[in-house]
Amino acid sequence: MASVNGCNIPEDLFYNVDSNVWASIDNSGVVTVGMTSYACSLSGQIVSYTAKKPGKAVKRDKSCATVESGKWVGPVKAPVAGEIIATNPLLDAQPEIINEDPYGEGWIVKIKASDWDSDSQSLVSGPGALKLFDEKMSADGFGGC
Amino acid sequence: MNIKQQPKQWRLIDTGIRPAAENFAINRAILEAHQQGESPHTLRFLGFRPSALIGFHQDVEQELNTDYIREHGIDIQRRLTGGGAIYFDEQQFGWELYLNRQILGGQDMASIAERICNTIASAMQSLGINAMFRPRNDIEVDGRKISGTGGFFDGDSFLYQGTVLVDFDVERMMRVLRIPAAKINDKAIADARQRTTTFREILEDKTPPLNDIKSSIADAVSREFEVTMEQAQELNDVELGIYQEALSEIDSDDWVYQHNRPYDESSMLESMYKSPGGLLKSCVMIDRDHDRLKQVWISGDFFIKPRRLVTDLEAALRNTRLSELRSNIEAFFRDYPSELLMLSADDFIQVIQMAIDSAEDR
Repeated sequence: MASVNGCNIPEDLFYNVDSNVWASIDNSGVVTVGMTSYACSLSGQIVSYTAKKPGKAVKRDKSCATVESGKWVGPVKAPVAGEIIATNPLLDAQPEIINEDPYGEGWIVKIKASDWDSDSQSLVSGPGALKLFDEKMSADGFGGC
Repeated sequence: MNIKQQPKQWRLIDTGIRPAAENFAINRAILEAHQQGESPHTLRFLGFRPSALIGFHQDVEQELNTDYIREHGIDIQRRLTGGGAIYFDEQQFGWELYLNRQILGGQDMASIAERICNTIASAMQSLGINAMFRPRNDIEVDGRKISGTGGFFDGDSFLYQGTVLVDFDVERMMRVLRIPAAKINDKAIADARQRTTTFREILEDKTPPLNDIKSSIADAVSREFEVTMEQAQELNDVELGIYQEALSEIDSDDWVYQHNRPYDESSMLESMYKSPGGLLKSCVMIDRDHDRLKQVWISGDFFIKPRRLVTDLEAALRNTRLSELRSNIEAFFRDYPSELLMLSADDFIQVIQMAIDSAEDR
């Protein structure tokens, strides 16, 4: 599994590196969104999670959920535009699952993408994503996960 | 970008005493403009009309005694930042920093909070207050809170804010907030006083005027970040544009009551336990939906050194999962240098567990 500075960055996912989020798309066009392990490392243990409600429209790069760690609050930004079709019920009671399994059970929302082909142009994956995360971590002065 | 390229002049702005909705609309206005590169790094001072302010993810009815609040004309507002509910009036003031992560050298959020809290604490020290950072987000004097803090980040920009308790009406706070005290009587008020302190209590008639305390904070921030401050009288045009839009969203029931699970009487629990080292009492607030301890107060008649151990333990137990109560208390005592007379970690576990178990007897 690929890692950058000790942060796990699976190469088969799509990333918005600036927003520090990942996306994956299934056969029916449903996009699962989550935080990267790098984002989890920066924020520390997450203690609260609130997602936009299913049925709500979300614009690309706008907040689709809000998380809280310690007393910090921050948005999780949607990597693609569309309609929220599911939030993660596991996280209501145990938001720390986001830290424990950010690419699996800790997913944030599922979005029915309105234009995946176009929005995904701005996302990166594979070795290109690893390079961009490495650059971002260096620019941020990040010490590693 | 590295720290050498960061601007060396920051803006200082004091927006005076305002309704809470306006104060939080300004939060969003400056932060969004800062993200867009339209606002400088900023230190802001602010004041509030009497207000009950809940953390972003909190539920109004679970945290606040809304009947009392309405009878007394107190504002209710939801902060953009996290953490717990507070009561705020003209006897306190707030400080805020709007910065970007690069200026802090890419540290994680906890380290950023620590550096800022240490800076504010150093300002208080320069005024004769022995203030220290207490993880995760408080500034305290000998175990008693004098400033609570919290932050909001969006991309590389962030807002970090805190209070300064110049003076504080503890009894009113207890009537506004749902806190771990079943009855508000002299004993409970005295207990609450043990958990906070103020400039007025420590410095008495030598308490500096508000403006002097603010100046000390501005000086400490300037020193820590090696910058100068330029005073501004009002927000810039970009900020004012965002402000109007933000105010219409925040000054609404939709915003304030977006989380509002009803209050459950059985979430406030008490216990009393006679240990070999003396009487221990606990009052516990539980979040049943999340199986967590929200807050605990421990009191009683026992000997412990240092005395602040109790408030440090209470701080360490916030948001503890009920299933992790034992392991968290054991870990706390393992790392904490203390002298206990005929008492052990087990006694503290016992008294808190008794309170939690008492829910089943109701």
